[in-house]
Amino acid sequence: MLEIENLSAWYGEAQALHEATLSVGEGEVVTLVGRNGAGKTTLVRCLMGLHKQLTGSVRLDDRDITSLPAHKRARAGLGWVQDDRGIFANLSVEENLLLPPKISESAWSLDQVYDAFPALGARRRAGGTTLSGGEQQMLAVARVLRTGARVLLLDEPSEGLAPVIVTQIGDIVRTAKEAGVGVLLIEQNVRFAATVADRHYLLAQGRLVESLDNHEFVERQDELLEHLGI
Amino acid sequence: MNAVLQYTVQGLAAGSFYALAALGLAVIFGVLGVVNFAHGAFYMLGAVAAAVLLDTVGMSLWLALIVVPVLMLVFGMLVERLLVRWLLPLDPLYNLLLTFGLTLLLVDLVKRRYGVSGLPYDRPDALDGRVQVAGIGLPVYQLFVIGVALLVCLGVWLLMTRTRVGMIVRAATERPELAGALGINVGRWVTPVFGFGVALAGLAGVLAAPFRAITAEMGSDFIIILFAVVVIGGLGSIVGAVVGGFLVGLVEAFGQAYAPTFAQVLIFVLMAVVVLARPAGLFGREEATA
Amino acid sequence: MNKPRNARAAALIAGLTAGALVTAACGAGGPSASGGDFTDDKVVLALLNDASGVYKDVSGPNSKIAIQMAIDDYKEKYGDEAVVDDIEVTSADHQNEPDIANTKAQELYDREGADIILDVPTSSAALAVATQAKNKKKLYMNIGAGTTELTGAQCNKYTFHYAYDTWMLANGTGTVVTEEGDKNWQLIYPDYAFGQDMVKSFTGAIEAGGGKVGGTIATPFPNDNFATYITKAGAAKPQVIGTMHAGGDLINLVKQYNESGLKDQGISLAVGLMFISDIHSLGVEAFEGTIFTDAWYWNFDDKSREWADRYMEETGDRPTYAHAGNYSAALQYLEAVQAAGTDDADKVVEELEGKKVDDMFLRNGEIRAEDHRVIHDVYLARVKGPADVEEDWDYEEIIKTIPAEKAFRPAAESGCSM
Repeated sequence: MLEIENLSAWYGEAQALHEATLSVGEGEVVTLVGRNGAGKTTLVRCLMGLHKQLTGSVRLDDRDITSLPAHKRARAGLGWVQDDRGIFANLSVEENLLLPPKISESAWSLDQVYDAFPALGARRRAGGTTLSGGEQQMLAVARVLRTGARVLLLDEPSEGLAPVIVTQIGDIVRTAKEAGVGVLLIEQNVRFAATVADRHYLLAQGRLVESLDNHEFVERQDELLEHLGI
Repeated sequence: MNAVLQYTVQGLAAGSFYALAALGLAVIFGVLGVVNFAHGAFYMLGAVAAAVLLDTVGMSLWLALIVVPVLMLVFGMLVERLLVRWLLPLDPLYNLLLTFGLTLLLVDLVKRRYGVSGLPYDRPDALDGRVQVAGIGLPVYQLFVIGVALLVCLGVWLLMTRTRVGMIVRAATERPELAGALGINVGRWVTPVFGFGVALAGLAGVLAAPFRAITAEMGSDFIIILFAVVVIGGLGSIVGAVVGGFLVGLVEAFGQAYAPTFAQVLIFVLMAVVVLARPAGLFGREEATA
Repeated sequence: MNKPRNARAAALIAGLTAGALVTAACGAGGPSASGGDFTDDKVVLALLNDASGVYKDVSGPNSKIAIQMAIDDYKEKYGDEAVVDDIEVTSADHQNEPDIANTKAQELYDREGADIILDVPTSSAALAVATQAKNKKKLYMNIGAGTTELTGAQCNKYTFHYAYDTWMLANGTGTVVTEEGDKNWQLIYPDYAFGQDMVKSFTGAIEAGGGKVGGTIATPFPNDNFATYITKAGAAKPQVIGTMHAGGDLINLVKQYNESGLKDQGISLAVGLMFISDIHSLGVEAFEGTIFTDAWYWNFDDKSREWADRYMEETGDRPTYAHAGNYSAALQYLEAVQAAGTDDADKVVEELEGKKVDDMFLRNGEIRAEDHRVIHDVYLARVKGPADVEEDWDYEEIIKTIPAEKAFRPAAESGCSM
């Protein structure tokens, strides 16, 4: 459903991404693994239309979205969870959830969200950033689920979180997958990636160097860890 | 004690102009990232419009309080559409310069048309005179100004906290890029928000008309104080603009009373102290000033 | 708005201002040959004043029209007998800045062949031009500025001071109001040269009249919020509050004085410097009952009114005393040129010094030789109430005429030596 072809991106003269081609299918969880500076965040920003110096194409459900502005991409079905979680401090927990428009029938209702994340329901009136780091991550994920996004772009969702929370995030990802949502997971946490993903792309110095299924990925985990320097 | 009450009322009345105009400045900065140098000129236009409408069609202050902000809203939206919009993708300095140039233009146009001595303004009789409070005569008009300012600030606060529009504006103010990536068309809100900010400056101008000299230059010093207000309150912070406005008004009044020559300096001393202690201002957030 | 952004903007603004100055300084030039009794065979009168700022309505471009009226009157009076046919008037904007005034004065004298510079409001600018007049040995008649320094320590042979000065204003308003029984004063003044000068003059005049100044309050300049200053001055329970503010600041102060309720408590307001254009802009109601000293009033008598009617045909407005003063100064200069038969500055000065004059502006006038103060009758005026106004601009009731010899600082006290 999400197809990226020959995507290259620049910052001024410096090329940050070299002809990346990858895809995420319906109900598929795909990770993008690479060390810091490999170009992972640049790729996500290109997908969201926030980085504009690029060539190549991005298609969502066979619709070319390469030149759409960010808010139209979101409405087309891309649900972005920023690496810093992107919770609005000036909005309450509930307002954070209600801010993005509903874009499809598969959108979660507020009740569904509060059932799945009781911690959010309990603090619905609190300021968004008064939540703990784990709760904020839950909120960020719940926020895009509430829109009914077709593809989730999760940027480092496990970073800095306690193992029990990471497990919970894994559960959410699997729930989304079951509902037919595609997930592109940006991760450095290879062990976490292995527990949820179907396929993996390795990104190094702006190039996709390998594409593996989860089986190969698990087998070569140690080698990859070393290779990536993670 | 009597004097203190009088100074307080005077400070709050002056602060009302600052709070209303700074509120507009804060909203514009928040959503557009534009430091609107022309805000003082828009305040001046509000006062001049009130005086001209009174003179030509006999429009009373009551009506002007509604009509002039509406006119300013339209004018502000035109300014955004025709001028400000084109520079938004560039360094914010360009819009600072644009609005600075716009100020010169507006001031000169008003001078050319209406001269430099200023325009007369008579307020409705109902707002003349004084009311006795605890044995002290307080001017009805100053109390009226404070009342209107508080009502408008309350209205804006409700608009910002209780409506979807307010929620979007708050989100766009805090992180415009993220709001866009979540499906909010921030660009759609830019024009009305700019117009709204300009309308608030115009409203402050109408309220000032019976109380201040209505001249082309009346906004020139006003804008400098406004900058101090928003820096003290925290750039882009709605609450900060209002609290900062009233605070600066009070500092000015008590400064005039107890250290006359330093009254204006004190405002900037306050600003320096706030910036040293809390660089983002009293109600600002660090990331909002980046 | 972060700090570097501000600093960048400030630098840019400074740059723009400097650029404007350079452009302004590159004005038109012209040859200046000399021959015969008249340089260039013509006389050039130059008006240097505020063409766009706060004093524009007080004098400004309309003074050029007043000067042209003087030229027309001179030509009509002398016809073929006139010693010079070619008389021009030129003008420049000094933006109330002494350095711009200085540059412009040089340019007018050297490049535009000006034989005399007229007007020059703003004391610091006025003094800068006096220095140029002295250096270039060219005439200068000041109308628009208030400083007594022009005829005091900084007087010179080529500089004359017309219309008014701070001593005359203080003497008129301060002395007369005090002598009439309001002895207890509070003074509010803008904290710059003019304001300080006025407070000194007023204090002297009030004390000479047997009154006392209970307190003085300095305010920032410019300023738009005077409410608390006024409350504070009123709290001392004076009989009169004297304000030394001008222009927009004066209007702010008067509006806020009316707001304060002090009028009802019998604390009246006396204004140090006021022009009829101020009353016109704010309306008589706001100023009703205010007492001030006026150098000339258009509706004083038939003679002044006749001139004011002519002026109104040209401009659509009634003249301030600065407009009338510019007319009179230009006319008396041309009369002196006529008498001298030349535009040679030294000879014209000789003609002017000690001359007794009576025209529509100068009543019982004399161009004092000792300090070049042009003395004449001045008036104590009260602003009419709306009910008493019979036509547009009919705002003043003249309550007292102060004779010329009492109206200005005695020459002996001037400290001027030429």
